[in-house]
Amino acid sequence: MLRRLGIAGRMSLLVLVGGAVILGVVVGVSAHVSRGMLERELEAKATALATSVANRLDAVERSITRSAVGIAHAVENLPVSREQVVTLLQAVVRDNPDVYGAAAAFQGGVPGTSRATCPYVYRHEGSLAVKDLAEGGYRFQIRDWYTLPMELGQPVWTEPYYDEGGGGIVMATYSVPLSTGTGETRFRGVVTCDVSLAGISGLIASLPLGEAGYGFVLSADGTVVSHRVKQYIMNETIFSLAEARGDPTLHALGLRMVHGESGFVPFTTFTTKTPSFLAFAPVGAEGWSLGLVFPKEAVTSRVRALGQTQILFGIAGFAGLLVVVLAISRSITRPLRHLDAATRALAGGNLDAPVPEPGGNDEVAHLAASFAQMQRDLRIHIDQLQATTAAKERIERELQIARAIQLALLPKTFPPFPERNDLEIYAVLEPAREVGGDFYDFFLLGEDRLVLVIGDVAGKGVPAAIYMAVTRTMIRALFREDSEPAEVLNRLNQELAEDNDSGMFVTVFCAVVDLRGGECRYANGGHNPPLVIRASGELEPVPSVSGYVVGAIEGPPFASGALILAPGDTLFLYTDGVVECMDRAGGLYGDARTRERLMDLRQTSCNDLIKGVREGLRRHADGAEQSDDITMLAFRLARGA
Amino acid sequence: MGRRLSITGVLVAVAATASAEVPATHVRLVLPWRHQAQFAGYYAALKHGLYAQDGLDVTIVGGGPGRDAVELVRGGQADVAVLPLSAALLAREHGGPVVNVAQVVNRSNLMLVAWRNRGIRRLKDLEGRRVSMWQEELSAPFLDFFGEEGIKPIFVPQYFSVELFLRRGVDACAAMEYNEYHGILQAGVDPSQLTVARLRDAGFGIPEDGLYCLESVARGNPYVVARFAAASLAGWRWVADHQDEALDLTMEYLRHDHVPGNRSHMRWMLTTLLPSIFPSAGDQWTFGRLRHEDYDRTLARLTDHGVVHLNLPFEVFCWSTETHAP
Repeated sequence: MLRRLGIAGRMSLLVLVGGAVILGVVVGVSAHVSRGMLERELEAKATALATSVANRLDAVERSITRSAVGIAHAVENLPVSREQVVTLLQAVVRDNPDVYGAAAAFQGGVPGTSRATCPYVYRHEGSLAVKDLAEGGYRFQIRDWYTLPMELGQPVWTEPYYDEGGGGIVMATYSVPLSTGTGETRFRGVVTCDVSLAGISGLIASLPLGEAGYGFVLSADGTVVSHRVKQYIMNETIFSLAEARGDPTLHALGLRMVHGESGFVPFTTFTTKTPSFLAFAPVGAEGWSLGLVFPKEAVTSRVRALGQTQILFGIAGFAGLLVVVLAISRSITRPLRHLDAATRALAGGNLDAPVPEPGGNDEVAHLAASFAQMQRDLRIHIDQLQATTAAKERIERELQIARAIQLALLPKTFPPFPERNDLEIYAVLEPAREVGGDFYDFFLLGEDRLVLVIGDVAGKGVPAAIYMAVTRTMIRALFREDSEPAEVLNRLNQELAEDNDSGMFVTVFCAVVDLRGGECRYANGGHNPPLVIRASGELEPVPSVSGYVVGAIEGPPFASGALILAPGDTLFLYTDGVVECMDRAGGLYGDARTRERLMDLRQTSCNDLIKGVREGLRRHADGAEQSDDITMLAFRLARGA
Repeated sequence: MGRRLSITGVLVAVAATASAEVPATHVRLVLPWRHQAQFAGYYAALKHGLYAQDGLDVTIVGGGPGRDAVELVRGGQADVAVLPLSAALLAREHGGPVVNVAQVVNRSNLMLVAWRNRGIRRLKDLEGRRVSMWQEELSAPFLDFFGEEGIKPIFVPQYFSVELFLRRGVDACAAMEYNEYHGILQAGVDPSQLTVARLRDAGFGIPEDGLYCLESVARGNPYVVARFAAASLAGWRWVADHQDEALDLTMEYLRHDHVPGNRSHMRWMLTTLLPSIFPSAGDQWTFGRLRHEDYDRTLARLTDHGVVHLNLPFEVFCWSTETHAP
């Protein structure tokens, strides 16, 4: 996918991905950090709020305990009548808005009566009501607010209870034991002040705890005294909730709360199971506890809002970045595209296609400059190539001419003397691609003598061909004057060596065969000695005679050699192109193989002999190009001639 | 308070009509205590028509502080009461001619709960220590136990709460395993902080809740009483099979009467109580019936401790249609 995109697309994509990763990390880290900050902020706020609310509740508690202690003090120390007690209770309840109701319970009665009595003043429909709890079967003597201070001998806050006596509300009572004022501490009864828990719930409900936050109050036993779920109030303890949920953590938290600790802990709400934080603080001296719950959502929503803002800005930044990246990458790739077009034109053969020349000194400008340079170099190179090709073509033409010259001078008609049956002769010259300057010749001197010539000009091409033509012509001419081969070579050497500025020379073997007697006189100017294949089956080179290459220097005279050719004997003349015929690996055909081949073919006609050797060479070469001409000539005196 | 008044109003109205004629199909059942799972069987029998299908129109009246079930039965404001055996015998002692028509809770659930960190490791340690104790009939098995063991604690009256114990005002308190004990645990006390002893384990358990009515009522309406007893027991069987629904039903009564309490406490109560109602393999007693031996033993104990002075044959006390059929 990435590979299919252009550079601009790829850069944009990579920048986009890289930017997204960076943005993600930034948002994540900042969310983490800001969450921590917000949590700490919430903790400070919540703890402060919890403490402040606890203090307000403490104040309520103190005002109630003060009231109760005050009444108790009066009742204990003054000989008050029941009516006076009621008046006192009324005054306290009326003057203290925190006090819901107040009672004075006497187990043995008050001055003026011996019956148990318990006047109770409480708020009822906006005014104060009075009743006696000792009447109507209420049995105050079995109530916690009566028995606890009696048994414990000290003032107590009762657990909250649903009052059936007077108020008919959920309340808690502060109860102070009364003793006789005579020094001997004997229990007389109690003085109580009630606080309505509805008031506490109202206070909690009015707290600024946010939309989903709420507060709750636990009594010393862990009983839920105030909670937004009314069902919990008085029915559940924090421990029963922990039991119902099988949550030991909540149980442990409950113990911390009722043991008067304060703290700020993660918390799961009872009903909705909302992940939250709980700040808790003790209230009063009786082990009551206040808890303020703040859903984590309050923190996370702010973190989320922050994250959303960051992401929004990030995306906007991205869009801008993308535009910039696209613009930059397009400005980079525009000359590249033009270069691409120019390259295509160049590849199509248009060397004059304009090459863009972007300004600046960047890599693309360098590339364009290099490309322009390449185009110029290519143009020069092609010009040179054209010139070279022309020259080569000329050389090739010259070679063709040379080859034409070479071949034109050779006798090519076989049999050359169809009227004669006393001799057999066959020759072949296979020029190399670059003409080597080989030649052969034969002609009759009179009726009975045949001249055989084979030569190899040192050098190649047209000069070699011309030199060969000169040599051949001169040999022919010289043999017309003198039939002695050594003398012919002497004369030839003289002629050629004279004014030989080119330094060319030729190896020549020539022989004159007396067709009647078989005598063969010969001279050799540095050429491969021909081979004689006797009719009897032996193969031997012609005996060597002294003689240097022809045309190089005016030097020592050539010696004459002679041998007798019997009928059926074959004289095989050849140039070094035969023995030096190379296979593909550069291996030479060699003398031994040549001789072996000749021996194999000795019974055949000269024609077949030459063709047979040629075939052997072709197999050896196996298509390898030969650097030298291959020239062979076979002569045989007919049997019975 | 308003609801309470209305129920009392209904009760009074029913009582007024019932007193004119012998109660035939109207049966008023009064409980010895506030609504809780201890009475789930009766709620179930009413709710699921077990009473109705026996032609009974039953009203259940909750008890509690200030409402004496025995008095209501004696006064004719209620027809049947759920009473502990000891309370029924005490009613007899005070001239209330009640008879047992069914015995629901045959196994005792009384226990002593003590603070371990007050040095109470075993019950002997309670010698001379403050122990809060129920009054009269419920205290008899405890007094019996302490008497037999030769332990002399200082008794402090205990009424409807164990606050005094929770505030360490006493070293030990009396408790029902299915109620007060679990209440203490739900106040954040760990069982490891407590030393507990069940009276039945010490051999001092006596039967608890039974169904009682005046002998005259039973004699006058033997079949109504028998049908009521049978339907009540059937209610308990239903509860045993449908505990969650029974808890739902119980919670309805609690909420209706503003009785403090929570579901997990009611669950504890029910699961603790059911094995005391339905016998297991080793138990001598039968479901729903008061065992002769248990009656004799209980009477002897109460007599020994001077709680009652009765010469009351089992056959007179324990009513059945077979023996008392007219």
